[in-house]
Amino acid sequence: MAARIKHQLFFRHPPSAVWEYLTNAELMELWLMKSDFQPVAGHEFTFRIGPKPSLDFDGIVYCKVLEIVPYEKLSYSWKLGPGDGTINVDSVVRWELQPKDNGTELLLDHGDFVVMKNLALFNGMQTGWLKNMQKIAENLDAKNHGTTNA
Amino acid sequence: MAQPTLDAFQVIADPSRRQMLMLLSKDSLTINSLAENFDMSRPAVSKHIKILYSAGFIAIQDIGRERHCTLKQDGFNALHEWLNYFDQFWASKLKNLENLLNNKLPN
Repeated sequence: MAARIKHQLFFRHPPSAVWEYLTNAELMELWLMKSDFQPVAGHEFTFRIGPKPSLDFDGIVYCKVLEIVPYEKLSYSWKLGPGDGTINVDSVVRWELQPKDNGTELLLDHGDFVVMKNLALFNGMQTGWLKNMQKIAENLDAKNHGTTNA
Repeated sequence: MAQPTLDAFQVIADPSRRQMLMLLSKDSLTINSLAENFDMSRPAVSKHIKILYSAGFIAIQDIGRERHCTLKQDGFNALHEWLNYFDQFWASKLKNLENLLNNKLPN
């Protein structure tokens, strides 16, 4: 399953300026949300983005800084659940900054979605689905065929 | 019998239901043959099947005197809902960042 979200934006500012907005909790709050983020690999923090009952999401995103290369790239895990301590969705958010035309190209890649740790199951199910539709068709054919011959 | 409405994640959170889906990913099965794989009462099996059916994971078709269960696509759409949800989330947040950096700050 191609489960990736990608966004790309150009800023008329050097990577160091954009970087500040990605890694300084006070500046992050201005555009993203309040958090206890710290630009340190292994640091665990949370984002509160408001509950989404229809998706069984309590609104708290649990993150951990995975990789941090100043002015170049930043990634953190992005996990969430219904609020009972379990995690439904496990994913990774990656930011990449590239200097370009006196500015910065900012790339966001939100992917590596693991849902209930069962993505393999889902892949299996998607291919299985068509096969089984065929089986049903065959069963129906066999039944019709039998009736005709009876 | 009234069933609580469960979302896709709650549906597959149950190991028995996951196993049912695994079995059905290999082959369509009648409710009876599906039940043979589980050490639980027939009503319990029916309850799980009803949950899978309500959430759109399986279709049930009567063929002759048997009820056949087949995997169905709808259950997977919940995953796309998540992707859509975060896609929109980032789009709106990045718009904020763009306004903040490109429109308000001097170069």
